[in-house]
Amino acid sequence: MGLMFALSPLLTLALGACLLMLAESFGKRRGGLALGTAMVFFAGCAMSAGVWLRGLEGLEGLDSLAPWLILDRFTLFFEGLLCLGGALAALLAGGYLPEHNLDRGEFYSLLLFTTIGGMMLAASGDLLTLFVGLETMSIGAYAMSAFRRASPRSAEGALKYFLLGSFAAAILLYGFALLYGATGHTDLVGIGQAVRAGTKTPMVLVALALVVAGLAFKVSAVPFHMWTPDAYEGAPTPATTYMAVAVKAGAFAMMLRVLLTCFGDRATASWSSGWPPALALVAVLTMTVANLVAGRQESVKRMLAYSSIAHAGYILVGVVATMRAPQASASVLFYLLTYTVSTAGAFGSLILCGRRGAEAVSYEDLAGIGRRHPAAALPFALFLVSLAGIPPTAGFFGKWYIFRAAMDGGFYWLTIIAFVNSVIGAYYYLRVLVFMYMREPAAGAPVATPMKSGYVTAALILSAILVLALGLTPGGSLDVVEQAAGAFKVS
Amino acid sequence: MIATYAPMFLMLAVAALVAGAFFVGATFLGGKLKVTPEKMKPFECGSESSGGNHLKLSVKFYLTAILFVVFDIEAVFIYPWAVQFKSLGWTGLLSMFGFIAVLVVGLVYCWKKGALEWES
Repeated sequence: MGLMFALSPLLTLALGACLLMLAESFGKRRGGLALGTAMVFFAGCAMSAGVWLRGLEGLEGLDSLAPWLILDRFTLFFEGLLCLGGALAALLAGGYLPEHNLDRGEFYSLLLFTTIGGMMLAASGDLLTLFVGLETMSIGAYAMSAFRRASPRSAEGALKYFLLGSFAAAILLYGFALLYGATGHTDLVGIGQAVRAGTKTPMVLVALALVVAGLAFKVSAVPFHMWTPDAYEGAPTPATTYMAVAVKAGAFAMMLRVLLTCFGDRATASWSSGWPPALALVAVLTMTVANLVAGRQESVKRMLAYSSIAHAGYILVGVVATMRAPQASASVLFYLLTYTVSTAGAFGSLILCGRRGAEAVSYEDLAGIGRRHPAAALPFALFLVSLAGIPPTAGFFGKWYIFRAAMDGGFYWLTIIAFVNSVIGAYYYLRVLVFMYMREPAAGAPVATPMKSGYVTAALILSAILVLALGLTPGGSLDVVEQAAGAFKVS
Repeated sequence: MIATYAPMFLMLAVAALVAGAFFVGATFLGGKLKVTPEKMKPFECGSESSGGNHLKLSVKFYLTAILFVVFDIEAVFIYPWAVQFKSLGWTGLLSMFGFIAVLVVGLVYCWKKGALEWES
């Protein structure tokens, strides 16, 4: 029973996904599917919160899953986070899909199954379960990004995503195979012990390089980011939200688990000869390239896609800092939380500003909306301010903790580059505000009218509350992320 | 070490030599290629080809094949369970019930969606 209780977030989602699939195939009306999906996600959230509060100590049967699935507070945190991202995406889909004639019930089942994959990824303690979780997550995401079947852009983006994603999975798998060959283990702890005990062989280093490349692809870090803008732009916006939020969170969970469990020792994590310098270079490239390119975009959706790449860069700074600053992995988790609510809110506001046949895409589409429809523009402004990292929003504290962790670890130049980049980033976020509040639409063009949907409104209210709550009182959630990150200590 | 592989390399060399001899011999002994319009046509079972070459056709067997592969691969998991049935006990039985229930959900979904209808 203890095992069932500990697994209840996963089981809730699995059961809900199966039931919703049946409901969708038997039912004639699709109205309630989004609500049902969001309810399942919230139930998953509540379950992980319940297990968190009860604590995992003394639950019998947990060892029977070792080393395949590790149920610790790190896993529980990511289960809750992925459910939150999934719930927001489901609510947005409930408004977006019917509005744009895309209302097919598969989307909701895909959301749930993809989230199960992400949860498994966060929980996995073995290369095999890790890969199964990764593929469960990725395949659903490929299908969701191709969901606008009539649109060539959607097909193009999804095909790029699928092909490059398959290559990345193959590269990752090649790394796993070499890792197994070098250490004789597939479980992460065993690999970590073997790497610690043995000297660094060339095979381990090649495996590490391949694994880091595969992981960097999944979090869409430069130079493995080429698919991101196309896939994010082509996908229906709720799917983009989900990919930017939950898929990325799952990928970072995998990155922390693999790098810190297998390569968290001094030999492979040292600054002179390990993954941190390579990852630091990737982080610098990611932040700089993404921010410079994002400023040149004419489509707000594409700008937000590049912004999500840039945020991956900031998070990578935190990942690099984990080897020297003990609180760095907690700061990564906190950043993921703030990034989730801000990004979901920003994409949701973009959804709100469009309607059937007139989806808000470019900056011009948003011109003048601030004065005519303040109720739609105000939350958008809040989320963009949070993404830019301006107090008193969640994004500010997310950046603050990452930067502080990097400073504590002695990565001064990395912090300076990240800081300069977040200043550059403010330019294109605030540019949206300029268009919304200070520009009038071009002569003859009408001001966009926001769509009306209870689902989208609910998602925006929820994320706005969380953005403000995390920005004003980050204390409670900081305790949570510190406990969650307690699973990892760099030795 | 290398000596144990020597027969393999010898075999490879002989194979390459024989194949090369065939190619070179065919070039010298065989007839020359004469290009005629008939020869350059796409071959379609020997009959005259007709119609355009960009046809749309419904690939019905594709869906059926995919469904077959999905359910077939999943059914493979039942074999090792059946072999170990006794030692797995009640936990194994209940797990397999769960597994088959998930399969049934998938089957019902395909059925209701009309994926099993050939004529439509």
